[in-house]
Amino acid sequence: MNTLIVNGRHVKAREGAMLLEVIREAGVSLPTLCDHAALEPWGGCRLCLVDVTRNEWDGWAKMVVSCMFPAEDGLIVRTDSQRVVETRKVVLDLLLARCPDTPLVQKLARDHGIEQTSYQPNPEPTDCVLCGLCTRVCDHIGVSAIATVNRGAGREVAPPFHEAPPDCIGCLACAEICPTSCIPFTASDSKRTIWGKTFEMVRCTLCGRAFITKEQAAFYDGRNGVPASYFDTCDECKRKAQAKQFSRLSAGAGR
Amino acid sequence: MNSISCADGQPMEAILERHPREEASLIQVLQDVHRAYNYLPCDVLVQVAEALDVPVAKVFSVATFYKAFSLDPQGKTIIKVCTGTACHIRGSGQVIEEITRQLGIGPGQTTSDMGFTLKTVNCVGACAMAPVLIVGDQVHGGVKPAKVAKALNQEGPRDAH
Repeated sequence: MNTLIVNGRHVKAREGAMLLEVIREAGVSLPTLCDHAALEPWGGCRLCLVDVTRNEWDGWAKMVVSCMFPAEDGLIVRTDSQRVVETRKVVLDLLLARCPDTPLVQKLARDHGIEQTSYQPNPEPTDCVLCGLCTRVCDHIGVSAIATVNRGAGREVAPPFHEAPPDCIGCLACAEICPTSCIPFTASDSKRTIWGKTFEMVRCTLCGRAFITKEQAAFYDGRNGVPASYFDTCDECKRKAQAKQFSRLSAGAGR
Repeated sequence: MNSISCADGQPMEAILERHPREEASLIQVLQDVHRAYNYLPCDVLVQVAEALDVPVAKVFSVATFYKAFSLDPQGKTIIKVCTGTACHIRGSGQVIEEITRQLGIGPGQTTSDMGFTLKTVNCVGACAMAPVLIVGDQVHGGVKPAKVAKALNQEGPRDAH
């Protein structure tokens, strides 16, 4: 097991852990926007910056994004050094200039002592912080219906050709994972619409509730051994059926 | 979506034959497609995605990321005016104005006869020759507005503007 020093305290790190995990386990809070437990670290938001050094580095330290830096034995980590705090403030200042009206960005900035951006606010305010969670979760599921397009100041998340994405299965994972809830969608009992594409729903054969899209059922059919019949009933009805079975079994066992 | 220009599919087959069918070939294939069509037609991007087994969203992401790729049809001759610091100071602005006056197109635009596309680039690395004008493959250094007409004439017929 690796031992590190985080803000002066000795902490243990599990093999293969990244610094961010170790720092948070040590009870030190670090802001992040692009980090998600279900996805690989990405290092996109640059908010989890820390200083790392070693005894043999003679006082030299380097700034790294903690989400992508392996928690190696003997590292000395500071999350509150002056240059780290200042750099993080610059990142938040820039984010606030990009997203001046976004409550989450406003709150993060305020938590770090920034009430107003020192840069020129974006003339076309957006809620998208370009954390990449939506495109990464879409890739992770294996759909890859959306991606970032263009570059620099014009970079945005969009479906190919800015048209309804043919590959989208309407799972809404992108909208659910978005930290600023900036991907619009509508969901009713009969239809879902996201990225300009409308989806028909599959209904539970027991309770009649619409619970997934037809495209989702088709996408998961046969994957990881999931049979098509799995989507005949919704999660709730499956749970109920299971509970019934359990109570029958336990009643049988009590006898 | 932009217009379609690959009804025969001939160049596509030849291009795809030259590269291994894998994601790593994407940029080389796109470069070849751009050379064959002078831009990236949307339906060809879909074909590339299918052939290399890469999501269309990824292909579109790469195609929009690089400045070397255009999703709009380009003129036969590409005019590039360097607007880097040295060229800017030495009058690239007036060179652009002169081209606009002669061809009736601004940066990023194409003449209606598809003869010329005007682009501005940030630095071509020839600051000693500033201001630099590149017409097709021909590089012109120390360009003054009065020299623009000659540089354009070398490459082909002028638009009727």
